Amino acid sequence: MTAVATPVSPMLVRLAAEKATGALLRDHGTLYLVDGRVVHAESPAAPGVDVLLTTGGRLPREGWDEAVDRAGAHRAVGRFLVDSGRLHDGELEICHLGAVFDAAFFALSPTSGPTRFRYGVGHWFGTVRPVSAEAVERETVRRRELLDAVWPYASVDSAPVVPRPAAPGQTVGARQRALLAAADGERTPAELARLLGRPAFHTLLDVRRLAAAGLVETPQEPEPEPGPVPPPQPLLAAPQVADPDIALLRRLRDALEAHL
Amino acid sequence: MANTETSLKEAASIEGAIGAALVDYTSGMALGTIGGGKELDLNVAAAGNTDVVRAKVRAMEMLGLGEEIEDILITLGRQYHLIRLLRTQGSNGLFMYLALDKERANLAMARHQLKKIASELQI
Repeated sequence: MTAVATPVSPMLVRLAAEKATGALLRDHGTLYLVDGRVVHAESPAAPGVDVLLTTGGRLPREGWDEAVDRAGAHRAVGRFLVDSGRLHDGELEICHLGAVFDAAFFALSPTSGPTRFRYGVGHWFGTVRPVSAEAVERETVRRRELLDAVWPYASVDSAPVVPRPAAPGQTVGARQRALLAAADGERTPAELARLLGRPAFHTLLDVRRLAAAGLVETPQEPEPEPGPVPPPQPLLAAPQVADPDIALLRRLRDALEAHL
Repeated sequence: MANTETSLKEAASIEGAIGAALVDYTSGMALGTIGGGKELDLNVAAAGNTDVVRAKVRAMEMLGLGEEIEDILITLGRQYHLIRLLRTQGSNGLFMYLALDKERANLAMARHQLKKIASELQI
């Protein structure tokens, strides 16, 4: 597969090329790199590995806490979970990879905020299975396109999920049924993801599918802002220049350009 | 208990294998791929076959047979595509995807081997 045409984060591409190690901080999350490869990601929008593992009952909360206490200091929590027999190798990988791509999707969401990189910073979870920055970028783009292909109304992503009555004979699968049952009209998709212990992107996708099926309300997109409101007249109006000296301004411009 | 990489390597070593992928069928993401090459883009296959699996899971739920899907076979002119669902404790469904060359593969054997690989990977 070819490289992503327009990178999600030019900085990530550059850091991958220079095989950097550290933490890439963005508005909606953080990516951790080792030798230019993504080893971990976190986002306030996505449930962490701990939530994914403990909510479903796979791991008791105390088991997680113990692993963090004993192995967090030397950045080997993931390894500890396997070595202590709490998780199987493949299970840890699958869960961790799922959490990394989930958090990365939100961390790499379009933002106008600053992007910073702190060299040498690692994450206490430790390395499980590094993935290439290119794979993370490609998957993030694929996920964006998938959401819009299912139901191109992003307003459902952040609004409280409000179920609608099913049409006669309309059925939903077990996963979506559980989601609808937890939707109390106030919880947002991110809150439902945390409650159910599911990745946030998977929950967004289910919500978009349900909205497309008419089983969840699609809130009105916010009205486009009306044209710029004229600024209120200042109390002390600036002196009105009736006849700006165009010729003088042109000479000034030409003079400035001559210095370039 | 195998990890994803050894499972994929074992799948790729099945007689006649063209490529294999481990796929999360809620999101359509390939968690890992092996082989494929130019003739078969496994990331595209992963995403596309997600719809196949989701549709079949849904059909089974509607039928209310109380049965679970073990595997799905798709037969092409020159290939077999084999989809094996994994039983996982988490709520995200996973499947192993295996593309086989029809000329070189022994379908019954491949199915049996894939079952074994999947059972070692699942929880």
